[in-house]
Amino acid sequence: MKASETWVLKKTDVSKFFAGVAKEMRLVAPRYLFGGDVTFGVVESPGEIAWDYGHVIYPPKRFLLPHYEDMFRYECGPPRRIRLEAINEAPPQAILGIRSCDVSAIRFQEKFFGSPIVDPYYKARSDSTVLFSLVCNAPPKKECFCICCDAGPYLNAGFDVQLTDLGDRFLYEIGSEKGTKATEAGASMLVKAGSDDIAERRRIEVQADLLFETTAYLAKAIDFISADEVPDEIWEELGSTCFRCGACTNLCPVCTCYTVDDRAEADGSFTRCRSWDSCQYAGFTREASGHNPRPTFGSRVQRRFYHKTSYPYIMRDGRHGCVGCGRCISACLTKLGVPDVVKRIRRGMHKYLPAQDRAAEV
Amino acid sequence: MNPVLTTCGFCSCGCALYIESAAAARVASLYPSANHPVSSGRLCMKGWNATPAVLGVDRLTRPLIRKRDRLEPASWDEAISFTASSLKRFISDIGPQSVGIIGSAKTTNEECYSLARLARGVIGTPNIDGACRLYDASIIHALLQTTGTAAPQVDVNAVAHAGSILVVGANVMEQLAHVGSRIEDAADNGCKVVAVDPRTSRLAPHTSLFLHPYPGADLIWARALVKAIIDRKLYVDSAPEAPGFEELRSSLDEAAGGLKAACGIDAGEIMEMAETLAENPPLVVMFGLGVLQQLQSTEIVKALADVAILLGGSVMPLRGQNNAQGACDLGLVCDLLPGYALLTNPAARKVWEVIWDCQLPAKPGMSAVDMIRACQSGEIKGLMVFGENVALSAPSTEESLEALDRVEFLAVSDLYLTETARLADVVFPACSFLEKDGTFTNIERRVQRVRRAFEPMGDSRSDLDIIADLASALGAEFPRDPRKVMAEIATSVSLYKGVSYDKLDESWGQQWPAGGAKAKLAPVSVGVAAKDEAYPFRIIASRINYHQQTGTMSARSSVLAREYPETYAELNEADAEGLGLRSGRPIRISSKSGSLVRTLMLSDSVPLGCVHVPHFFGGDSPNMLASYECDPVSGVPAYKALAVNVEAVK
Repeated sequence: MKASETWVLKKTDVSKFFAGVAKEMRLVAPRYLFGGDVTFGVVESPGEIAWDYGHVIYPPKRFLLPHYEDMFRYECGPPRRIRLEAINEAPPQAILGIRSCDVSAIRFQEKFFGSPIVDPYYKARSDSTVLFSLVCNAPPKKECFCICCDAGPYLNAGFDVQLTDLGDRFLYEIGSEKGTKATEAGASMLVKAGSDDIAERRRIEVQADLLFETTAYLAKAIDFISADEVPDEIWEELGSTCFRCGACTNLCPVCTCYTVDDRAEADGSFTRCRSWDSCQYAGFTREASGHNPRPTFGSRVQRRFYHKTSYPYIMRDGRHGCVGCGRCISACLTKLGVPDVVKRIRRGMHKYLPAQDRAAEV
Repeated sequence: MNPVLTTCGFCSCGCALYIESAAAARVASLYPSANHPVSSGRLCMKGWNATPAVLGVDRLTRPLIRKRDRLEPASWDEAISFTASSLKRFISDIGPQSVGIIGSAKTTNEECYSLARLARGVIGTPNIDGACRLYDASIIHALLQTTGTAAPQVDVNAVAHAGSILVVGANVMEQLAHVGSRIEDAADNGCKVVAVDPRTSRLAPHTSLFLHPYPGADLIWARALVKAIIDRKLYVDSAPEAPGFEELRSSLDEAAGGLKAACGIDAGEIMEMAETLAENPPLVVMFGLGVLQQLQSTEIVKALADVAILLGGSVMPLRGQNNAQGACDLGLVCDLLPGYALLTNPAARKVWEVIWDCQLPAKPGMSAVDMIRACQSGEIKGLMVFGENVALSAPSTEESLEALDRVEFLAVSDLYLTETARLADVVFPACSFLEKDGTFTNIERRVQRVRRAFEPMGDSRSDLDIIADLASALGAEFPRDPRKVMAEIATSVSLYKGVSYDKLDESWGQQWPAGGAKAKLAPVSVGVAAKDEAYPFRIIASRINYHQQTGTMSARSSVLAREYPETYAELNEADAEGLGLRSGRPIRISSKSGSLVRTLMLSDSVPLGCVHVPHFFGGDSPNMLASYECDPVSGVPAYKALAVNVEAVK
């Protein structure tokens, strides 16, 4: 059983198959909570897995970059001794049912945290994680625009294992060595995919591509933003409606920024804790002198988009920093999701820059 | 690790959020519910940073008792019996009215109800009041006499479908993010948003009309608005049949004088506002602390309720605290019994005398502000404060601190050693909403479950347990299971009829009905805007995005606290130039009652003659500039529109 091979797993065997996987690693999968809410969590048995879920607002990135995480503990005790205790929890885990956009985002983060300086916390977790992604037969919600970002609704590469729901069975594609290894325990339950299976999968792809309601015309915005042509007025207009909640970055599966706090423990030791942070907060960029290079809300919205969609970052990261998951749309208290901002930049360019000036620039 | 679904304890939006705990008092993750009708997958900055705020490392973990002028750790038994014996002594020596209790709008419904019962039913004092007195109690009687319901009449989601919205004196985008977000949705759908506020707020991009009255002049323009609606017959057909219509009409006869000079808004603007609101139904009238903390607050609320009734709209008072609604519903109000029954009504008293097996004095008790003043005069010997940092939220800080220091016995229950707790003789370490079970009632009257996500920190206990401990020491047994308390509430308070934990667990809580009450129009009196030559500036106090109340919770989150590391005040550039003041330099803002120093910032959004003073943490609240002058009807201090002087610090 090798990478790039395609198999079929009957739905009647799914629980048994993943019970086998669970012997080697914990299973992280979507689960129903209250009132239709779904989130990824550690499941005790494969029966809990919500295979029919649509999308989750809280991205599974937290199993590699926890929302709140203890990094190490230290104690300053006499005589001039500092005792350091590493905390490194990286249990082997399989993330089941993760969507293509979130897989693409994790691959982005792995690159970011892997070079030039390796983040050992992230690396330990990503090394011990196998991603079983689940193709979206249709966009799970109206805010989805992964198709504009080359991050879904299905993947051609980047997955360890990719599952496609074909009704009574899953198409089972192996995409990496990790995927091959995780498949070993249940290999006997897989049968080679036939031409019908491949044809059905192709039909699903074509159909899914036609169902997207949200689009983000990123290419032109990338040009404008990279060349720093977007007038400040547009950024400030965007910033004026921002609620400063930070959800766009908290919930962005690509965003990597964090802050650290040293928490005083009752026994006199301290714990270095890290938690997600947001470039949309003033305190994120303010320097010790009090100077803030991003002093206004508009300038912070600009910062977010410069980071996500400008050439210098695209060159460094290998792709732009948006996977089209739509969370910045659904989590925003106003309308500062990526597609909205792109639209408002395009519209604003006409408003603030008269046509003749634009022509003269060219 | 399993996610616990609970209700956010910051503002009255009442978002549903999931919390997963790692170890003791350690959060692993926090995220909003996608399907809850208010949060709908979104949270504000305070919600996202809720856990560090309440699980701070300096949380009180043991009871404290003052010994030799120092607060020293003690056992629960010692703290409870010391408190009970002090209370018993005051009750037997002087009488139960020498005891005062101030409750909180942050605690659960079950705790608020039990506290009211402890005060009235066990101790026998009429002096029980809630923190609402320091914030928004001015809506209670004003709305009971007009709309008939001391609560918002519309749901948060209904705001998005309004045809017009009048927002008065509220920094709604920063304080109630979900209401603000729905206003923006409404505006995008073509709703006409009319804002009235001395300072330009973040609502501005979504308004079709933004009017700037002088601070403290709201009754003047509101009366003119009511008059314009009546004179031009803009009201709905049924309005003349509403009780009080003629009385209202004749109350407007008294001449009011030059409008523009008196309130800063001219007759043309009033007419534009009246027409906009009348032509775009359905109307929602919202008002916040900007009008709820003035000398004529009750009158202003009545006038705004009249506007809503005349135009067939609804009112939505914007109350800040998470359980402001429930605390008032369940009796933390000095002149009301649970369910808004008047204490002066003998039949209502009789009902509660049976339920609580006690005798109720007919005379309403002292308000929270009066209780603090009575600590100074000695009329109150023992004061208990639950979950409200009155040392900072009460007016005239210097005098209030002295009064709290002077009172013979002060017990405080709080999460942290607040400015109030530092003055106490006994401090009870309370646990936060993340460490207990109960319910909160949100801005749309939705009773929602609060569920324990963490074990109580240290030896801290829920206020429900503390209240039951005190009751027990005073010879009464209270239920300690919040489920049982709610069962009692559901059988005795008609608004909460049918509410049960089983039902609450089935869906997104239960809303108590707003309809049913017959609306009545109230006469509107003439507004007065006083001038004081010695204090030529008017204060505009506000709360910024990242802060809540006195900062007891929000200041503990490093992410929230770092947003504004330096306290500031804002002036218009022209005023600053006239006074020779420079941006970035310290200025002194002083009133008859006190003064504070802030760093000056310049802002176009602050009108001439005004100084904008945001609330910050610890000891530096604009409330310290207020005197004990209160709205005579509601007893809410006049924190807004204070006359102040502004000068450079030499």
